Amino acid sequence: MNPATLIPIADTLTAPNGWFQFFLMLTFPLHLFAMNAMLGAGLVAFISHLYPGRAYRELSHELAKALPFLVAFTVNLGVAPLLFVNVIYGHLLYSSTVLMGLYWLAVIPLLIIAYYLAYIYDFSFKQLGNLAMFVLLAVLVLLLTVGFIFSNNMSMMISPVSWSRWFTTPGGTLLNLADPTLLPRYLHIITGSLAVGGLFSALYASTLLKSDPEVSEAGKKLGMQLFSWLTLLQFGVGTWFLLTLPQKTMSRFMGGSPVATLLLVVGVLLAVATLITGFKRLVLPTVCLTLPLVYVMSFMRDVVRGNFLAPYFNPSTVPVQVQWSPLIFFLVTLMLGLVLVVWMLSKLQIFKKVS
Amino acid sequence: MNYPVWFVPTFGGGLLIALVAIIHVFVSHFAVGGGLYLVMAERKAIKEQSQAIMAFVKKHTKFFMLLTMVFGGLTGVAIWFVISLIHPAATSLLIHTFVFGWAAEWVFFLVEIVALFVYFYTFGKMDDRTHQTVGWIYFGAAWMSLFLINGIIDFMLTPGSWISNSDFWSGFFNPTFWPSLFFRSFMSFMLAGCYGFLTATFLEDEATRHRMIRYSGTWALVSLILSLPAGWWYLSVLPSPAAKLVSGASPTIKRAVMTGGFSLAVLAGVLIALILLNPKARVRCLIVAVMLSAMGYMGAFEWTREAARRPYVINQVMYSNGILKKDLERINQEGFLKNAKWVQNKEVTETNQLEAGRELFLHQCFACHSLSGFNNDIVSRTKNMSFGAMRKYLTTIHEKRYFMPPFVGTDSELKALAAYLTGGLHKKPLTDDAGATGDRGKVLYEENCAACHSSDSIKPKLKGWDLAKVRASLDKLPALNPAMPDYTAPAAVKDAMAGYLFGLNNPVAAAPAKAKGATLFDDNCAACHSMDQIKPKMNGWSRDKIRAALDKLSALNPAMPDYTGTAAEKDAMADYMADQVGGAK
Repeated sequence: MNPATLIPIADTLTAPNGWFQFFLMLTFPLHLFAMNAMLGAGLVAFISHLYPGRAYRELSHELAKALPFLVAFTVNLGVAPLLFVNVIYGHLLYSSTVLMGLYWLAVIPLLIIAYYLAYIYDFSFKQLGNLAMFVLLAVLVLLLTVGFIFSNNMSMMISPVSWSRWFTTPGGTLLNLADPTLLPRYLHIITGSLAVGGLFSALYASTLLKSDPEVSEAGKKLGMQLFSWLTLLQFGVGTWFLLTLPQKTMSRFMGGSPVATLLLVVGVLLAVATLITGFKRLVLPTVCLTLPLVYVMSFMRDVVRGNFLAPYFNPSTVPVQVQWSPLIFFLVTLMLGLVLVVWMLSKLQIFKKVS
Repeated sequence: MNYPVWFVPTFGGGLLIALVAIIHVFVSHFAVGGGLYLVMAERKAIKEQSQAIMAFVKKHTKFFMLLTMVFGGLTGVAIWFVISLIHPAATSLLIHTFVFGWAAEWVFFLVEIVALFVYFYTFGKMDDRTHQTVGWIYFGAAWMSLFLINGIIDFMLTPGSWISNSDFWSGFFNPTFWPSLFFRSFMSFMLAGCYGFLTATFLEDEATRHRMIRYSGTWALVSLILSLPAGWWYLSVLPSPAAKLVSGASPTIKRAVMTGGFSLAVLAGVLIALILLNPKARVRCLIVAVMLSAMGYMGAFEWTREAARRPYVINQVMYSNGILKKDLERINQEGFLKNAKWVQNKEVTETNQLEAGRELFLHQCFACHSLSGFNNDIVSRTKNMSFGAMRKYLTTIHEKRYFMPPFVGTDSELKALAAYLTGGLHKKPLTDDAGATGDRGKVLYEENCAACHSSDSIKPKLKGWDLAKVRASLDKLPALNPAMPDYTAPAAVKDAMAGYLFGLNNPVAAAPAKAKGATLFDDNCAACHSMDQIKPKMNGWSRDKIRAALDKLSALNPAMPDYTGTAAEKDAMADYMADQVGGAK
C-alpha cells in the first residue's frame, strides 16, 4: 500500500504558515527548558540522596520544593507548541495518535500520578525519610515513560510508511519500535535534558540557595558534573542518532544543505564551548551558551522532520484563509499575560528583599 | 473517513469522552468560581480580622491548588487528547478555526498557574492588598479561560453565521455564547460554594465551622437560583432541531434533562434545609449529597448540550462520524469508500461485501456505536432486523431518527453495510427479498419499528388492546411517546401493521395466523422433518384433513408423539401447512 494514500487532507490555515512555524519554534524550546529542569532537578535530587551528609540532604529537600513548579510549567509550556504542531501537522499527528491511542491516553494518568507524587515528595519530605528517594525514583520513571511515549508519537507521525499496520492492529496499541531512529532519538533528547537539567540545578543552587553556602556548593558541583559528563556522552549519542538517519537526511547535515550544515556546525561548536565552561564549573557562561544551543537543537530537529516528510507533505501547499484580528487578539493577550506574570514575580522579589 | 479509527470494540469512544469531560467539568468550573470564593473569603477574614477564617482560606487554597492545578489542568489536556483520538476531524477543524482562541487560553492558563503559586506560597508573607490583587488576577485569568472555551464549545452546538462567512468572531460569539457564559459562571460559583462546604466541615473550631458552612451555603444557593434563568435563556435560544431534541425527541436526552431537573430540586432543598437549620452537628454526609446533586445538575447540562447537537459533532457542519455535511451529495455520487483514506476495499464487489460493510461500519457508525459493548451497542440494536428491513431502514435513517446521521455513499455501499449489520453480525440470510415473503405486518414492523424496540418488548404494552385501538394508535405515535416519530404510511399499510401488532397478544384471531403456524411448526416438528420433506406426503390434503391429522399424530406414524398444544395452535398450524401444500380449506 502506498503510504501517501493514507495521509489525511490538511485543514485550511487562518494565518500564513510562517506564523505558526514561528510560534512553534519560539515556544517549543521553552517547553524543553522547563522539561529539562524538571528531569534534571529530579535526577540531581535523587543522586543527592545517595550522598551522605546534611548538605546533600538539604539539597534534595530544596530541589523537592521546586519539582511541583517545574512539572506545572512543563505541562503548561508544552500546551503551546503542541497546539502549533496540531495546526501545522495535525493531520499527521492525529493519524499516528490513533495508531497508538492507548499509550497516548496513558500519558494523562501517568502524569497525574507523577505530579501528585512530586507534591508528596515536596510536602512530606521529612516524614518520608528514606522512602523519599523511592518516591522520587517513581516520579522520574513515570516522567521518562511519558517522554518515551512522546518520542514514539513524534517519530511515527513523520513516517507514514509504518501506518498501514493499523489495518491489522486498529486497537491503538502500536508503537514505533521498528524505527531505527527511535531509540537514539529518545536517548539523545533524554541525555540532553538531564544535562541541561543538571545545569539548571547548578544555577538554582548557586543563586536561590546562596544563603546556605554548603548546600549551594554541593548543588553547583553535582549539577555541573552532571551537565559536563552527560554533554560529553551526548557527542556519542548524537553521532549515533545522526548515523541512523536516512542517508538523504544525514547528507543534508554534511554539506548537502547550507542551513542544516550550519546548524550542525554551530551546535557542535556551542556544545564544545559548554564542555569547557562546564568542566570549569562556570555556571553563568554555561547557561548563556546553553540557551542558544537548545534553540539550535530545536531547529535541527525541525530540519529532520521536514526531510522525513518531504515525500509526503509540503506545508506550503495547505490552503490559507487569513484572518488577522484573532492573531492580533492573541498577541495582545500574550503581552498582557506577560505583564501580569512579571508584575506578580516582581512582588515576590520585593517580598524576598523585605524578609 | 479522512482519519483512522481507534477501534476498541467494547468501549465506544463517546463513553470515554463523556467520562473525561464530566470529571474535568466539575474541576474546571470549580477552578473558576473557587478563585472568586477564595478572594472573597480572604476579604471576609481581613474585614473581620479573623485568624481562624484566614487559616481556613489558606488550607482551602492548598486543596484548591492540588485539585485544580494538577487534576484540573491535566484532565483539560486529557479532553484534548481524547477528542483528537475519537473525533480527529472535528478536533482539527476546531483547532484550525480557533487556534488563536486556544493560544490566548494558554496564556490565561499560564497566568493562572503563576498567580495561584504566588497566592498560595505568600499567604501571610505579603501585604493584604497585593495578596488580594494576586487573587483577583487568578480569578480574572480563570474566568477568561472559561470565556474562551465557552465560545468554542458553544460553537459546536450553534455555529451561527460562521457557516456562511467562516469568520472567527461570528463562530465565537455564536447564538448560545452569552446565555451559556452566564449559566457556566453561576455554575462555577455554585460549585465553589459546594467545595467550600466540604472543606469547611473539617474546621476544628465550631464557631468558625458554622460560619464558613453558612457562608458557603449562601454562595451555593444564590448561584443556584441565578443559574435558573440563565439555563432557561440557554434553552430558549437553541435552534429548532436541537430544541426538539431537548424537549423529548431523543430518549437519552430526555432522561438526562429529567435527571438534571431532579438533582436540581434535591440540591436546592438540601441546601436551604442546611442553612435554615443552622447545623450543629457534623453535616459532611449531607454535604456529600449536595455535591453529588450539584454535579448531577451540571452533568445533565453538559450531557444535554453534547446530545442536542446530534447527529452533528459541529452542528450543521460535520456529522458525528467526521463527514462534512457539504460533502454529502458528492460522496453519495462518487462513493464513500473511494473517498475514504483509511479503507482497504475501495469499492464493493461480489466477494468483499461483508468486509467492505465492516469498513463502512467502522467509519460511519462506530463513532457512536460500540460492538457488543457498553455504549449504544450495535449488536443488540440490529438483532431484530432482516437484511431487507435494514436496507430500507438505512436509506431513511436520518429522517426516521433525526439524531442519527444519514448513510453516506452509493446504493451498493448501503447494501454492503446492511449485509455486515445483519449477515455479518447475526449470520442472517442476505437474500434480497428476505422478509418480503413473510408476514407483511412483520416486515413492516422490522423496517419501521424494530430499530428502537423489539416486538417482544412492545407486546406487554399492547396487552388488552383491541384491534381498533392498536390501529388508532398508529396514527398518533408521538402522542404515545414524544421520542417516536410519526408513522406516515398509507392506511392500508397501517392496517397490516396493526394486524401484526394485535396478533402479538391474540395469536388465533389475528390475521397473520399463518406466521404463528410456521413458528409452531418450527418449534414442534422441524427437528425431525422439514416442511419440504412432508409436503409430498400431504399432497392433495385439504386444510380440514390436515387439521384432523394433527389430533392423531401417533396413529399416522407411531414414531411421532401426539401434539399436546391447544386447539387454537393446531388451527394455526393447519392453516400454515395447508397454505404450504396448496390445499383448499
